[in-house]
Amino acid sequence: MIEMLNASKAYHQGTQEVHALRNVSFRIKKGEFLSIMGPSGSGKSTLLNLIGGLDQPTSGEIFIDGRPLHGISDDELTLIRRRRIGFIFQFFNLLPILTAVENVSLPLLLDGMPFSQIKPQAVNFLEKVGLGARTEHRPEQLSGGEMQRVAIARALITNPAVLLADEPTGNLDSHTSEEIFMHLKRLNEQGQTIVMVTHDPRAAAYGTRIITLKDGALSEDISLGEHAS
Amino acid sequence: MNLTNLLRHISLKHIKLQKAQTFMAVSGICLGVAAMVSIGIVNKSVLRSFEDSINHITGRAALQITGAESGFPEGMLDRVQNAAGVEYAVPVIETNAKLSGGKERSLMILGVDVLQDNQIRDYSLTDESADIPDPLLFLAKLDSLLITRAMADREGIGLDQQIQVQTVEGIRRFRVRGILNPEGPARAAGGDIAIMDIYAAQMVFGKEGRIDRIDVSIARGETLDAVKDRIQAVLPKGYSVDTPAGRTRQVEILTMRFRKSIGLISFMGMFVGMYLIYNAVSISVVQRRKEMGILRALGATRGQIIRLFLGETFVVSVVGSLLGVGLGVFFAKLTIGSVAQSITDAYLKTSVVELAPSWSNIVTGVGIGIIASLAAAAFPARSTTGITPISAIRILPHAEDGRLLSTRIRIASAFFILVSILIFMAYKIADASSAIRSTATIFWSIVFLLLGISLSTPVFLRRFMLLFHRFLSSRLGAGGRLAGLNLQKNISRNAVAVAAIFYSVTLFVSSASMIHSGRKAMLDYIDSVERGDIIISSGHPMAVGGAPNIPMPAEMGKEIEKVPGVLSADPFRKIYLNYNGRRVLLGAFDTLGWMEYNPIMITEGGRKDILRLLPRQDNVVVNESLAARNRIKPGDFVVLPTPNGPVRFGVAAIVVSYTSDSGVIWMDIHTYQRHWHDRLADMFSVRVKANENISAVREAILDGIGKKRNLFALSAREFKDEVRTMIDRSFLVSNAVNIITMIIAGLGIIVTLLASVLERTREIGVLRSIGMRRNQVSGLVIIESVLLGVAGGILGSAAGILIGWINLEGFVRLDYGASVTYHIHYASIGWALLLSAGLSALAGLYPARRAAKTNIVQALAYE
Repeated sequence: MIEMLNASKAYHQGTQEVHALRNVSFRIKKGEFLSIMGPSGSGKSTLLNLIGGLDQPTSGEIFIDGRPLHGISDDELTLIRRRRIGFIFQFFNLLPILTAVENVSLPLLLDGMPFSQIKPQAVNFLEKVGLGARTEHRPEQLSGGEMQRVAIARALITNPAVLLADEPTGNLDSHTSEEIFMHLKRLNEQGQTIVMVTHDPRAAAYGTRIITLKDGALSEDISLGEHAS
Repeated sequence: MNLTNLLRHISLKHIKLQKAQTFMAVSGICLGVAAMVSIGIVNKSVLRSFEDSINHITGRAALQITGAESGFPEGMLDRVQNAAGVEYAVPVIETNAKLSGGKERSLMILGVDVLQDNQIRDYSLTDESADIPDPLLFLAKLDSLLITRAMADREGIGLDQQIQVQTVEGIRRFRVRGILNPEGPARAAGGDIAIMDIYAAQMVFGKEGRIDRIDVSIARGETLDAVKDRIQAVLPKGYSVDTPAGRTRQVEILTMRFRKSIGLISFMGMFVGMYLIYNAVSISVVQRRKEMGILRALGATRGQIIRLFLGETFVVSVVGSLLGVGLGVFFAKLTIGSVAQSITDAYLKTSVVELAPSWSNIVTGVGIGIIASLAAAAFPARSTTGITPISAIRILPHAEDGRLLSTRIRIASAFFILVSILIFMAYKIADASSAIRSTATIFWSIVFLLLGISLSTPVFLRRFMLLFHRFLSSRLGAGGRLAGLNLQKNISRNAVAVAAIFYSVTLFVSSASMIHSGRKAMLDYIDSVERGDIIISSGHPMAVGGAPNIPMPAEMGKEIEKVPGVLSADPFRKIYLNYNGRRVLLGAFDTLGWMEYNPIMITEGGRKDILRLLPRQDNVVVNESLAARNRIKPGDFVVLPTPNGPVRFGVAAIVVSYTSDSGVIWMDIHTYQRHWHDRLADMFSVRVKANENISAVREAILDGIGKKRNLFALSAREFKDEVRTMIDRSFLVSNAVNIITMIIAGLGIIVTLLASVLERTREIGVLRSIGMRRNQVSGLVIIESVLLGVAGGILGSAAGILIGWINLEGFVRLDYGASVTYHIHYASIGWALLLSAGLSALAGLYPARRAAKTNIVQALAYE
C-alpha cells in the first residue's frame, strides 16, 4: 500500500549539501509492522517524514494506496496527511493549551466537524488507550506515557491507512515503553499498518519486518514473519 | 466551519492565556480607534452647532442675503422686497455682545423688525411674559430686550429686570420685556441669544442705516433658483444670495483646514495602533511556530493557519474597536471645549452645547479599527506559509529572521522615499493657484516618506547595533555585550518595535518644531506690527483673529489720547469679506500714525510706497499668501466688494501678515470709512510718553473710559502671552495624540521584549546556571529595551526634523506665506530622546522581571 521508488532527499546545511537519503526503493504491504533502524544520521527519520508527507523527496516517487505524494500541491498533501496518516512523535507534540480529548479531536476539528460530534469518538479512543478518566486533563497534568497514549489516540481517530511512529518511546522509561509497544502490537494485530523508526532492536522485534539504513541507503530488509516478540 | 473550530478551541485559549499580549493588542487598536472617533465626534459636533444655530435663526427663510461684514445699506431691503417671487423680505442685525456685571458671558444679539419678523420666525413667550406690551410699545422703548428661558435660568434673570450689556457705545442697561421658550431662534447659540428691535440694535451697535442680513421667504408657486437669480440681478456685485444650507457649507469650508489638520492627527494615531497589532501578531507567529508545525503535520492547510491568525486578530480588533468607541466619546468630551475655543480664536464664535456622536462615527470607527487590524496582521499571518510540518519534529536552530532585511524591502524603502521626494518637488514647482499646491499633496509626501523610512528601520537598527557594539557594549559589562548580540539576532522583530517608537518620536519632534516655528513667526510678526505699549480692546483680549469682539467707536481714540501719559492711540478695524471665493481679512489702520513706530515686514515694494500710496487713497497692501494664490504683485489691482458695490484698489506692496490663513488685505482707515461707512475700531494701539509708567497709564485708561465699557488693556508682553496661549491651545489635540502614540509605542516594546525573553528561556537558564545573578539578567533585558528606545528616538528625531519642515511648508507656509522660517526645536529632540529611552526602560521592567524569575532547572529542560 506504500510504495517508494528511488526516493532521494538532499538538503543544505550551511554551505554543504547533505544527502540524507539516496535512491531508496521498497514496498510496505497493508497490515505490516515495519521497523526502520539504523545508526544516528542514517536517514531513518527523513524516510519516515517522506512517507508521512511531512517533507517532499528531492527526486523519486512515493505512493500511498496508489496515490502519489510527490508532485502534488501542498493542500492536497496536507489533506492526505490529515485523513490517511496518523503520526506519533518522539516528543509527543500535544498542544499544551488543549485537554486530552481536544488534542485527540484535532484532526477531525481541522476537517470541520463540530466538537460535539467528535467528542464521543475521542473519548472512546482515549478509553481504548486506558485514559478514560483523564479526558479533561491537559498535557502538563499527564505523565510521559499518558501523553504518548493521547498521541496514539489522536493518530487513530481518523482511521488512518498507516500509523507512523518516530522513536515513540525515546522519552519514556522501559516499563512505559513496553506498554506502548504492546499497544502498537495489538493495533497491528487488528490490521493497522504501522511504520516505526527506532534504534532499539528490542523495539524492532515487536514488528513483522525490519529495514536498516546506512548512510542514507537501504542496507538490509528482513522479514520477521508473525510478530517475533 | 473549520475556522470556528480552530478559533474556539485554540485561539480563544491563547487570547485568555497570553493576557499581557492580548491586553496590549486590544489597547493599541482601542487607542487608535479612540483618536479617530473622538476627533470625528468633535468635528461633527462643531459643524452641527453651526448648522443648528443657522437653522434655528433662519426660521422659514428660504434665502438669505449678506454683504460686507460691517453691514450694508438698509436701502437694499426695498430692492429685494420688490424682486418678483419674493413673499417677505425682513432685515436682520446679527452681532455679538457681552452680558456685563457679575459673570460675563458672550451672547448673540438678533435685531429684528418687530412688526414683520413673525412672517419668518416664530417666537413663543413664556406664560409670565404673555402680557408683553404690544409690539409698538416694545418699539418705543429702545432698551427692550427678549432673552431665552435658558439664559434667564442660568443667570437668574427675571422679567422686567434690568441687565447690563456691553455694546459699541459702552455698557448699556436693557430691560427684559419677555422670556422666550426654547423654540425657534431661542434655541440658537446654546440659548445665549437676545432679541431686540432692529432700530435699537442699529443705534447701540454702531450700525445706523445698515443691516447685516435680509431673510427672504418665497411666494407660492415660485422656484428657489429663479427667485435667487432675480434677487442677485437687482443687487450690486459682492452681495451673497444663498440658502441657509449654503451658509452652513461656507462655515464648513472656512473651518475645513483646521478640522482636516486634527483629522490627520487621528490618522497617525491609528497608524501607530496598527503597528502594535502587526507587532503582536508577528510575535505570536514566532511563539507558536511549533504549535503551527504540529497543526500542519496533523493536516491543517496553510490557508487554515493564515485564517486562524486573521480570525484571532478579528476578535481582538472587535473588542478593541468597541472599547475605542467608548474611549473616543470620553476623549471628545474632554477636548470639545479646547477645539471650540481654538475655532473661536481663529475663525468665528463657536459654542458647542452637546456632543453629536452618530452611528456613522461609531460604525466608521469600528470598521476602520477592524480593517486596519486585519491589514496590519495580514503580513505576519501570511508569513506562516513558511511554517513547514517538519518544524513540529525538528527543533530548528535559531535562524535570524532576515525577512525585513531582504533586497525587496530595501528597494521598496528607496522607492517610497523617492516617491515622497517627487511629490514634494511637484508641489514646489506647481503654480500657487494649482490644485497640487495643497495640504493633501504634502500629506501624501509625508506618508510615503514615513513608509520609506520605517521600511529602512531594520537596516538602521543593524548599523546602530554594530556601532553600539563597537563603542559602548564593553563599558556596560557582560549585559551590554549580550544585549547588543541578542538584538541583532532578530533584527526584523526588533525593528518593528523600533519603528513604533520612531513614529511617535517623529510626530513629537515634527509637531514641536512646527509649533515652535509658527509661534516664533507669529511673535516676530506681532513685533513688527504692534509696537504699541498698551493694546486696548473690548469683548475679547485677542481682537485680531476671529474671536468675538465688540467694536468701539473709532473716535474713542481721541478720548484715550486725553488720558495723561498717552502719546497716541491708533485705531485698528477688521472685517471679513469675500475675495475670489475665499473669506479674507480686511484690516484698516491709520497708515501714517501706525507706520511711525511699526516696522512692518515687507516682501515686495517698500515702506516709501506704502506711505505714499495708502493714506486716504484707494490703494491696499496684501499679504504673501493672498498675493501668491492670486498672482498679485505691486502695481496690480484688486476689486473688493463694498456696501455700495465693487471698488478697484491698487496694490502698493506685499507684506507679511499671519492674522488669517485665508489671506489679509490692509488699507488706510480713512479709505475704509469712506467706502464702508463704518466708523468703528476693534482695537487701539496706545503709545505711552517717554518716562511715563505704562502700568499707571493703563490704570488711568481703565479708570476713565474703562468704567463705561468693559475694556481689556493688555501690555505688549501680555498680548504676546495671549498669542502664545492661543497657539498652544490650537495644538492641544495634536499634543494629546502625541502622548497616546508614545504610550502605544511603549506597549509595543513590552510585547517585543516579552516574546524575546520567552524565546530565550533556555539561554537564560544557562546564563543563570553558570553564575549570572538575577539583577544581571534583568539588567540585560533593560539594556536591550533602552537600546530599542534610543534607536527609535534617534531615527525619529532625524525624521521629525525633516517632516517638521515639510509640515511647515504644507500646513503653515501654504496659508500664511513663505516668510515663515523653520526653526528646529532642539529642546524637543532632547526630550524625545530622554522620553524614548525612559519610556523604553519602563517598558522593559516587566519583561526584565519575568526573565529574572526564570526557574533554572525548568529553563534547561525547556524546548
